[in-house]
Amino acid sequence: MRIEEVWARRRFVFMDGAMGTELQKRGLQPGQKPELAALEMPQTLTAIHAEYAAAGAELLLANTFGANARKLAGSGHTVAEVVAASIACAKQAAAPCGALVGLDIGPLGELLAPAGTLPFADACAAFAEIVRVGAAAGADFVFIETMTDLYELKAAVLAAKENSALPVFTSMSFEANGRTFTGCTVESYAVTAAGLGADAVGINCSLGPQEILPFAQRLCRTVPAGVPVFVKPNAGLPNLDGSYDLTAEDFARQMQAYAATGVSMLGGCCGTTPAYIAALRAAFAAQTPAQKIPLRRSCLCTPVRFVEVDGITVVGERINPTGKKRLQQALREGDSAYPCAQAVAQAEAGAEVLDVNAGLPGIDEAAVLERLVCELQAVTDLPLQLDSSDPAALARALRVYNGKPIVNSVNGEPKTLDAILPLCKKYGAAVVGLTLDEHGIPDDAEGRLAIARRIVAATDAAGIPREDVYIDCLTLTASAQQEGAAQTLQALTRCKRELGVRTVLGVSNISFGLPCRSYLNTTFLTMAMVAGLDLAIMNPNTPEMMAAVRAYRVLTAQDPQSAAYVQAYANVQLQTQAVAAAPAAPQGAPSGDALFEAVRRGLQDEARAAAETALRTQEPLAVVNTSLIPALDAVGDGFEKGTVFLPQLLQAATAAQAAFEAVKAAIAAQGQPGGAGKGKIVLATVQGDVHDIGKNIVRVILENYGYDVLDLGRDVPPERVVEAVRATGAKLVGLSALMTTTVPNMKATIDVLREAGLPCQVWVGGAVLTPAYAKQIGADFYCKDAKASADLAKAILG
Amino acid sequence: MRRELPAALDRAMALRFLGAAGWQPDPRTAALLDRAEQQVRGAAVPRAVWRVLPCTALPLQNTGHDLARHLQGCDEVLLLAATLGSGVDALLRRLELTDIALAACADALASAMLEQICDAWETEQRAALAAQGRYLTGRFAPGYGDCPLALNDELCLAVDSVRGCGLAVTPQYLLAPRKSTTALLGVAGHPVTGAAAGCATCHLKQTCAYRKQGTTCFAKTT
Repeated sequence: MRIEEVWARRRFVFMDGAMGTELQKRGLQPGQKPELAALEMPQTLTAIHAEYAAAGAELLLANTFGANARKLAGSGHTVAEVVAASIACAKQAAAPCGALVGLDIGPLGELLAPAGTLPFADACAAFAEIVRVGAAAGADFVFIETMTDLYELKAAVLAAKENSALPVFTSMSFEANGRTFTGCTVESYAVTAAGLGADAVGINCSLGPQEILPFAQRLCRTVPAGVPVFVKPNAGLPNLDGSYDLTAEDFARQMQAYAATGVSMLGGCCGTTPAYIAALRAAFAAQTPAQKIPLRRSCLCTPVRFVEVDGITVVGERINPTGKKRLQQALREGDSAYPCAQAVAQAEAGAEVLDVNAGLPGIDEAAVLERLVCELQAVTDLPLQLDSSDPAALARALRVYNGKPIVNSVNGEPKTLDAILPLCKKYGAAVVGLTLDEHGIPDDAEGRLAIARRIVAATDAAGIPREDVYIDCLTLTASAQQEGAAQTLQALTRCKRELGVRTVLGVSNISFGLPCRSYLNTTFLTMAMVAGLDLAIMNPNTPEMMAAVRAYRVLTAQDPQSAAYVQAYANVQLQTQAVAAAPAAPQGAPSGDALFEAVRRGLQDEARAAAETALRTQEPLAVVNTSLIPALDAVGDGFEKGTVFLPQLLQAATAAQAAFEAVKAAIAAQGQPGGAGKGKIVLATVQGDVHDIGKNIVRVILENYGYDVLDLGRDVPPERVVEAVRATGAKLVGLSALMTTTVPNMKATIDVLREAGLPCQVWVGGAVLTPAYAKQIGADFYCKDAKASADLAKAILG
Repeated sequence: MRRELPAALDRAMALRFLGAAGWQPDPRTAALLDRAEQQVRGAAVPRAVWRVLPCTALPLQNTGHDLARHLQGCDEVLLLAATLGSGVDALLRRLELTDIALAACADALASAMLEQICDAWETEQRAALAAQGRYLTGRFAPGYGDCPLALNDELCLAVDSVRGCGLAVTPQYLLAPRKSTTALLGVAGHPVTGAAAGCATCHLKQTCAYRKQGTTCFAKTT
């Protein structure tokens, strides 16, 4: 057959069935690597392919599923050797029947970061090696299958597209709950794979035809027109002895249900044999595939979260350094904990997408944005809005993003459209178009609509569907241009109606320079929602604005039974008194003692309130030194003596954190940057190690004591520790590692710190470390827990 | 293969992991543990794969004396790989940023959950083998005593843990997702107990808090 018949969808196309079980039946021994069959038992392998071809399979998969460097390590054979030999066997069998041969690519067998430690770029490189040799060996298409991690699938698709001109088929495996092992949904898979340019999208393995059917239906509704859908189910479900419960005839009978779904290619996976494919062919040969009718919907996603933008959707705006000193500091220093905590807080407040901006003078925006995306997607499952006008930064961020993001933004200038739209197309991203150009922002709605038309013409030309285009008609500051608000809203309504695009606004811009900004923001937001706003870029921590969103959803019947509204507000008592009229806390209360007690007992809200009270009469540092630290010391001493237990120590630490936020706010209000200023400490869990709860406990306790902690996270390369110490001038560095196998990386980190000649001292901790072991790897100190670490910091830094 | 969530998580075990064995938590900590348990239960998707192989099928030559002692007299070895899934990892990463006390409780409860799931699985296996007149040792994991973590690679390959339950081994032989475990159990035609690795070859023998209190990590202290 010709590969074009796959896209024509005029008839069913047949694929092959299982390979591993067939090899076992014909002599592959337990412990023998199946991927070496082309070298060790080529005739048997070719015979199996030939049987599939004779049974009617038109697309044969070469025996290259596990032919990657990791799985072949120690086999004495290279990837090139194994792939070339495997493809040769398949081609030999395919030739007489005119079948096509696919380069089969399975998972690498190692988890990508953040779940594991394999960097995304290394995964891309591993797949690229296979693709290059596969293409050179004459494969007709690339078949990426049995994937359970969308991120790994993305790496493989990029490798295939960048290293060959071959069509790319993708296939993931789902459990009965409709998710993969890593929680990826059918919809997230469909839009991400199609967005990356997969030429055919399907499901294989894990379940039988009956169980996969509903997922295939969802796939057909989501995969865009022009991209065919296939299935390769198992022969039913496994029996206890490892066999499968469907016969070839049962299998073909169950597969009948697919005729009406829009699926156009059929094959089998575990437990199927050439007889199953013959039965399929007999059952389907006379039929034509049903029309596949995908829904055209605007959506963004991460693997586990599919966000359909249908009605107002909240984009959290807080991860943007403009005007935010703390975030600026964090981005400059490479501190991941702060922006990540901002992300989690916005998600809890109701954000559905997060804007991420790393534009700050004097930093390498491309490197920082890329790292920020990786760190954020480890702690939040919300889709990201990549906010940059720098094509280089967007290219790196888009590459490492896991799912379908939105790019913020292009505008009417041909230069930005030409640079950024191809990136959106390559990585399957949605895009924001600002209605401004080299001449500035038009005053009236008509002018902005004209720019929007130009943007849409460019996105059409770039092959980006209209449902992925979000036009921003630009919020102008009401204090400067009161008439502007009406023009913005008018333009918004017309763009949506006349161009069939989605709309987006940065809502809070409306209120710059005016008091009680949330009043204006909320009113403007409400007006914009009525005008048809889809994405509201706003601060989800502003209760009034979230209330407006939730109320709007009730009043426009988008919140069935008002369930979400009730859930959010059932237990909320509205404050009827104005803030200014709230009773002041009693003056002269024994505030120091109250704070001491609240921290000691681990009461967060009380600790924050007590700190605020104390700060009315005392200097921030006095509050820290007379109440906070004595309370922490008391708890710490109890912990050391065994009268206070870890959960209590940590509750006290969390209460102290809450109090510290009040202290930091007071210091900031006095205009002194730099926090409580007790000295800088750099923390990291070393390269190769992902177990970092101990390090995180240490971080919290040190911060409690007023130290300025730069936490580099986990799986941190030695060079990053050196960079951070050099940049911050930290005198103390804490390293953690959990296992004996990662302690060598701890030693490597200490070695490079010493080689760099940095005047810092290093302490280490972690389950397998001992004082002797610490000395042996060149550390200055060993600390057994967080309390000991705080004591050490006091001794060194004061 | 999916495994059932335990009906209730073993609080005593979780407290032991938190270094608070035998402690009766105050009401606030108990409430914290309740919240942590609810979140862990919501995030966990436990799965396991296992396989019986002849002892000779695994390269067990350079894996230390402790494992050899454990498998003494056994002709087959039952291999287990089990995980709570990547959702628990994501939950813990999130909690560690926002509420370290809740995070520590969730971490300990997740470890307890994994132990309970493995205990339930072991009970099933023991019963199934007993019906065939076969006997089973307890669980022994790479990293115990002088047994190298590197054995995780061979073990996970033998049960195809990536495909079967989404569990992979890192280049440093750590398991990913984090809340995962592997084990080897000896199978024999006569009663066997296996041998715990003991303290003599343990990496932690110098700093172990249990030993200072005159007990061991493997003693049942509930």
